[in-house]
Amino acid sequence: MAVPSLSKAERAYIQASLQASPPLRADGRSLLDFRTVLLETGVAPLANGSAKLNIGKAPQEGGGGTEVIAATKLEVEDVETGDGVDGGRLVCTVTCSPSAYPHLSTNALDELQYDLTILLHQTLSHPTLHPNNLGILPHKKSWLLSLDLVILADAGNVVDALFMAARAALWDTKVPRTRPLQYQSRKAGDALKNADAMEVEGLPEITSAFDTRDMARAAADFELPDYWDEGEVLEGRDRWPVCVTLNLLPPSHFLDATLLEEASTPIRLLLAYSFPHKSQPNLQAMRFIGSGEVVLTQLKALNADGEKYARSLFDSLETKLRDEDIRRNVKARDKFAVR
Amino acid sequence: MQSNFDRRRINGPEESFPPVYDHEEEAESSWKPGQSRQGRAAGDIRPIFLKAGLISQANGSAYIETEHTKIACAVYGPRQSKTTVYNENGRLNVEVKFAPFSCTRRRAPIRDAEDRSLAVQIQQALLPAVRLELLPKSTIDIFLTVIENDGIEGCIASGSVAASAALADAGIEMLGLVMACSASTVGEEIWLDPTAQEAQNASGSLIVAGMPALGTLTNVWQSGRLAPIRVLQVSSVHATDDRILRAHINHSQGMEACQERFVDIHTIVAQALLDNAHNT
Repeated sequence: MAVPSLSKAERAYIQASLQASPPLRADGRSLLDFRTVLLETGVAPLANGSAKLNIGKAPQEGGGGTEVIAATKLEVEDVETGDGVDGGRLVCTVTCSPSAYPHLSTNALDELQYDLTILLHQTLSHPTLHPNNLGILPHKKSWLLSLDLVILADAGNVVDALFMAARAALWDTKVPRTRPLQYQSRKAGDALKNADAMEVEGLPEITSAFDTRDMARAAADFELPDYWDEGEVLEGRDRWPVCVTLNLLPPSHFLDATLLEEASTPIRLLLAYSFPHKSQPNLQAMRFIGSGEVVLTQLKALNADGEKYARSLFDSLETKLRDEDIRRNVKARDKFAVR
Repeated sequence: MQSNFDRRRINGPEESFPPVYDHEEEAESSWKPGQSRQGRAAGDIRPIFLKAGLISQANGSAYIETEHTKIACAVYGPRQSKTTVYNENGRLNVEVKFAPFSCTRRRAPIRDAEDRSLAVQIQQALLPAVRLELLPKSTIDIFLTVIENDGIEGCIASGSVAASAALADAGIEMLGLVMACSASTVGEEIWLDPTAQEAQNASGSLIVAGMPALGTLTNVWQSGRLAPIRVLQVSSVHATDDRILRAHINHSQGMEACQERFVDIHTIVAQALLDNAHNT
């Protein structure tokens, strides 16, 4: 989205070659080919779920490409006194590393960060995608799921990378299991009887007899049954959307643009599709970026195409995520069992 | 809290809550899912009042009012760009500001991040229409002030209409007047021009902006769940399958409904501009 400055000759050259027959791209791809996408989950051990995604890494030198890291962190929020919402909430933030955009000033970087944040946040935190296992104690405590994405390098097509990394991190997220507890207070003046296990975060314990505030609270709290248990997966992980950016160059369009190709495109269409199992696909977001115009009939055709591309992207991403699950869980266990 | 400390104004208490009235709670929850829209038909937009030329200091201005959404727009330009970098095409700079009393909860006068997301959408709607290639080294500044806010989608749509009327009032060359309309899917219906209340109950929202004179779209913003085009074809084959027929609104229906409204809004804007031209 931060485009380099191009001369008119260069722009015309790129546009002419994309519109030629057969269409020519600088790296020899066809119009609908994606560059190699590398994905790894579980890269941040302190996070509840994480993923690192790279599009277009050069195979021999091992560098370059659009690189994004996504990580989710769960925090407990108080519904009554804090910002918590009954049922939990999801907040997305995108940070652009200055090393990825060395030519942008701080203000421009902030604005780019903000635009990407609002795009991801509006799409992913929409109530239709909300997972239902983010509550802890109804009306008292809930989880805040913070999804943070960092763009480490931008070689074009950063929005698709952000959505894929977000989906991978959310797929990888494990919500710790909680068990509700209730304290029984004997009478005013006695210290509260503490149940055996650990208390993660609770109401303050009353230890002083001089404390004359409300003593006979039917205090409700929760505990983690097993510290070493990672927890259950986030519900609805098949619903998280996948985004494709269609770069429109009439009469055709192309996918996965490099930086130069992005700068030569008059208008881009972002489509985020969600493919829940056993249900119809849904369009979760659509955005226009650029100074071109579109006719409604064209837009309908583009939507149909975008859905196909999103579907194939989704299927390959799903295959990879399942492979990653196997690599990290089943194979790791087998390796330890052998030792 | 340092971020909220504003040295130029008298800061009130850090935390304050609006009062809650008993009878208001009943009025808010009177709509139940499954009911039809209250007060107007699903395809009706709110009546628009638009007047150009109210801000004499600006090169062009417009004021738009649709029931509870009131926006004033001023255009300054084309004027010289402050940057020393040579721009072959002019720059379009849109800034939106919410008046502190515009929303139910008071908004701080400091520049908020939410202002920028509205400004980006309005700029995207106007950018293809303004002939910036005729204005090198220039900037056109569009300042929108939201005086009363009844739904963000409504603000973006009305703001785009007001801004294009103001641009026309300023005499800036454009390919066509930009019109915008918002819609949301509630249950199985598409409601055009939703209020804040109606948008909250919706499963998906859509804002479409375009030029009716050329028949093109300049911006489409969609959020939430809408079914894609294929569902229409599927539902005609499995006519007996209730599950598929039910509850899948095609977003292209939404876009078509919005585009039909463009022509109506265009007549209002053209009339307002003609009246203003006659009077000056």
